[in-house]
Amino acid sequence: MNDAAAPLLDIAGLTVTFGTGARPFVALDHVDLTMQAGEVVGCVGESGSGKTVMALAVMGLVDFPGRVQARHMRFGGRDLLTLSNRERRTIIGKDIAMIFQDPLASLNPCYTVGYQLSETLRIHGTPEERSSGRVRRARALDLLQQVEIPDRETRLGAYPHQLSGGMAQRVMIAMAIACRPRLLIADEPSTALDVTVQAQILELLLRLQRDQGMALLLITHDLAVVAETARRVIVMYAGQQVETGPVPDIFEHPRNPYTQALLAALPEHNLDRTRLRAIPGIVPGPFDRPQGCLFTPRCAYAVARCREQRPELDGPPGRQSRCFFPLDASGRPTNDWSAQASDLADLTSAPR
Amino acid sequence: MSTPLLEVRNLVRHYTVSRGWLKPKGVVRALDGVSFTLQQGATLAVVGESGCGKSTLARQITMIERPTAGELVLEGQDVARSDRTTRRRLRPLVQMVFQNPYASLNPRKKIGTLLEEPLAINTRLDARGRRERARAMMAKVGLRDEHYGRYPHMFSGGQRQRIAVARALMLHPRLVVADEPVSALDVSIQAQVLNLLMDLKDEMGMAYVFISHNLQVVRHIADDVVVMYLGKIVEHGRKEQIFACPTHPYTRALMASTPALSPAARRERAALRGELPSPLDPPPGCAFHRRCPYAIERCGIEIPRLRPVAGVEVACHRAEEVVGTV
Repeated sequence: MNDAAAPLLDIAGLTVTFGTGARPFVALDHVDLTMQAGEVVGCVGESGSGKTVMALAVMGLVDFPGRVQARHMRFGGRDLLTLSNRERRTIIGKDIAMIFQDPLASLNPCYTVGYQLSETLRIHGTPEERSSGRVRRARALDLLQQVEIPDRETRLGAYPHQLSGGMAQRVMIAMAIACRPRLLIADEPSTALDVTVQAQILELLLRLQRDQGMALLLITHDLAVVAETARRVIVMYAGQQVETGPVPDIFEHPRNPYTQALLAALPEHNLDRTRLRAIPGIVPGPFDRPQGCLFTPRCAYAVARCREQRPELDGPPGRQSRCFFPLDASGRPTNDWSAQASDLADLTSAPR
Repeated sequence: MSTPLLEVRNLVRHYTVSRGWLKPKGVVRALDGVSFTLQQGATLAVVGESGCGKSTLARQITMIERPTAGELVLEGQDVARSDRTTRRRLRPLVQMVFQNPYASLNPRKKIGTLLEEPLAINTRLDARGRRERARAMMAKVGLRDEHYGRYPHMFSGGQRQRIAVARALMLHPRLVVADEPVSALDVSIQAQVLNLLMDLKDEMGMAYVFISHNLQVVRHIADDVVVMYLGKIVEHGRKEQIFACPTHPYTRALMASTPALSPAARRERAALRGELPSPLDPPPGCAFHRRCPYAIERCGIEIPRLRPVAGVEVACHRAEEVVGTV
């Protein structure tokens, strides 16, 4: 695999805006993302953090009145933003595929599994697949085997409502990998499923990723899922990237107070306590975002400077944090924070 | 801890379903002989996959439905066989919090109206008395006074769940059945609502039946844990014991499937094959035997009974051997 030289996906300054020109709502604010071929990257954040909008923007699925802007959004060296729609369609769905959270809502209830699988092949497949129905059927059976669906012949003629959630998600994955994509975007692929089925689906995705050498962008709100699957993580908050770093370092030594607080709120990290260390407040909505750092109202370390200025993403490449006072290895804010915080001096509320 | 608050003995709830024209009616054994006791002020967690009968159990306990057979004794009264007036008198003692706060609050009613409705139906308080009680409860669950006149759509998910909790507590119930109360919420909000539930319990002393599929959450909030599979209890015991050494193979599989943050906490993935069998056509013998790594011939023939093994109650023929393999 060609390493750092040419990344598979190279996004710089991706911004997605909704709303009117007079009252714009920035859903995604200057997000940078690079992915190498065959890499597994996790993207975590709460609802409203912009993680799904990012995936939709890459897929070209943001419709008017949404506006997608970026310095560049390169996939395999070609800029997706400057391509014509026709050229773009040869990439989306073939080289980049996506699976969604609710499999039963993403499959068409009026067509059989077999029809929907071969539809992908008829449009994006190899010349033989496009011309011969028999080849398509054989390939569809082969795909169902890859996603470990038992009783494949009957499943091919089944309608989506006849499938369980786990089976439907396997069909979605089969459709996504039908054209051997180089990048698979999985948006909360296991959230709607039971834990035992979730474990099966995640294992399946990782096996396919290894076997086919495809890159996997795993979007989820579940930190533990990311910790078990991804090698690199992006943490999002209110439309911004707040931290990036490798697993497990980002979970063991978070540099951004939001990541730290999110980890501290997990029941897994509160085994010896009766109360959980909750983050006060809620994610700011579209029109009540604070002037300074977006996390200020909920941050245990916020000082005057945080309320006035917005921090930039800062740090060495691959290990960045959006904070004026990135946390050190012991989980304490650095950069002369204690001097500026003398006015509050109340450290007992800090999450660690 | 004298008389238990709730005693469930051999509770059975079957549903008949149509399988199509001219076909015989099918029977779904949603609850098939469930027994447990819940003490005053304790928290019982019910875990299992979707379709295991967790929500059916909640519907019986909250007296929304009558069980097909068995006893449901609430404060000494058998609810399963009592008449309408007794049930009506007992209903305020048990209240429910639902999973999805976006669906469980009437979008056309103001928060104040929502909170006062249980009082208007079940008490003789006048409007002023109801308003006072509603405002006091809002303060307790961390809602501000000005929220009284607002509509549900003006609130975030976490706040809505606070409203749902407040509504459940308006009648000072002895038992609150919470059906997946935090699974629709974000992690940071989840912690807030869990803290609220625990604070309210300390303050008001009610018991919880906490239905969840999230073992990490259960581990935090529960005293006792019941693990269900296809309408039956497969393991029941103190939280500490079940988490320290799960005895039923299904409990082990559930724990192994739960993703964990720290590599040390991850158990070896005994990847569970297949899915929950159809409740219309459960396998013979132990319902779990087709997915169970420990299954032997006997498991496919004889239904295991719940019996005490290593400090917990387990329904497994090979429980002793399973305990031996850590």
